Amino acid sequence: MKKAQPWIGLLARLILGGVLLVAGYLKAFTPDKSMMAVRAYEILPIWFANVLGIILPWLEIGAGVLLIIGVAIRYAAIFGSALMVLFIIAIAQAWARGLSIDCGCFGGGGTVDPSQTRYLEEILRDTGLALCGLYLLRYPLTKFALEKKPSQELALGE
Amino acid sequence: MSSKTPKGPDNTTRNLVIGMVVLVVAVGAIFSVLSNKENTSAALPASVSKDDGYGIVFNGELKGVPVIDIWEDFQCPVCARFEQTNSAYLEKIIEEKKAKVVFHTLSFLGPESSLAANAAACSADEGKFLGFHKGFYSSQPAENSGVITSDYLIALGQAVGITSDKFKSCVNNLDYKNWVNNVAASGGEQNINSTPTVFVNGKEIRRATSATELGDYFDPAAFIKAVEGK
Repeated sequence: MKKAQPWIGLLARLILGGVLLVAGYLKAFTPDKSMMAVRAYEILPIWFANVLGIILPWLEIGAGVLLIIGVAIRYAAIFGSALMVLFIIAIAQAWARGLSIDCGCFGGGGTVDPSQTRYLEEILRDTGLALCGLYLLRYPLTKFALEKKPSQELALGE
Repeated sequence: MSSKTPKGPDNTTRNLVIGMVVLVVAVGAIFSVLSNKENTSAALPASVSKDDGYGIVFNGELKGVPVIDIWEDFQCPVCARFEQTNSAYLEKIIEEKKAKVVFHTLSFLGPESSLAANAAACSADEGKFLGFHKGFYSSQPAENSGVITSDYLIALGQAVGITSDKFKSCVNNLDYKNWVNNVAASGGEQNINSTPTVFVNGKEIRRATSATELGDYFDPAAFIKAVEGK
C-alpha cells in the first residue's frame, strides 16, 4: 500500500486537476453563459453571481494546472475540494428547492427542462473529486510532481 | 504547522511556476471582467435605447399599451419555435401600434450568436429587423456549426430585401460588436437565465411545464391572452 500511495496520488492529481482544467477552459471563453449558470442557482445576489461566473473558470484553470504539474499540491487540492463541497451544496439546494437547472459545470448551465436535470450524478461526481483533493491533502507526495518535497503547511498530521 | 519548505532550485522553480499560474489567472480574469462590462460609448443601432436594456424597440413612443420584452439568442432552437408560434401576431400588433415590443438579442450560445445579433442590428438600421429576424429563424442553422458567417448573413439580408453596401460593411466590420456585449451585460443584470424569456409589462409569461402544457410561450392563443390580458 505504501508503495502505491504516490501512484494513487498521481492519479488523484490528474483526475482532479484534469477536470478542473477542462471545466475552467470550457467556461472561461463563454462568460455570458458561465454567468448565467451561476445566476441560475438563485443563491447569490445577481451582481456577485455575475462576477463569480467570470472569475471562477480562471481559478479552476489555475488550480488544475498546479495539480497537473504538481506544484503547491496541498493548496490546489484544498481549493479544489472546497470548491467541490460548495458545488455539492449549491446543487443540493437547487434540487431541494425544485429548480430545474443544469449545473453548468462544463459550460452550459441555466434553466433546463425538468426532465434534463441530473442532480444525483453531479453530486456523486463532485463527491469523488472532493475525495481526490482530500487524498492529496493527506498524501501530497506523488509521482512525477515538479515539486519533490511538498510544503508541510496544511499537513493533516503525519 | 512548521514550514519546512526546502531552499534551492526546487523552491525557485516552485515559486516561478506559482507566480506564472497566478499571473495567467489574474490577467485572464481581469480581462474577462473588463470585456464584459457595459461599454457606454458603443455605437447603437437605430431604435435602441439604454433605458430599454439596449433592446431593439418597436413603438417606443406609445403609452398605455402592453410592453413586451423578448430575450432571445439567434442560435437557440426554442427561440425559433417561439418565433414561429407568435411572429405573425407580434408583427400584427407592431404594425397596428397596439404594443411596444423590445427585442433583446443575447449571444451566450457562442460567437455565431454574436455575429447574428450584430447583423440583426445592421438590419434594424435598414428598417428591416423584423424581416431579417423571421428570415433567420425560418432556416436556423445548427448551433455553432460554422454556418453563420458574414457572407451567410449578408445573403440572408439580400433574401429579405436588404441590398445596401452599408449593411454589408456593417455585417463585415461588426459595427455593433460593443452593442452586442451591452445587450449581454444587460441580460445579466436582468437575471435572464434561459432563452427565450418573455416579459409582458415586466412580468414573465407562463412557462411550458410539459410537452402538452405549452404555457404562454408556445400556444398562440395563450400568448395573445397573456399580452392582451383578456
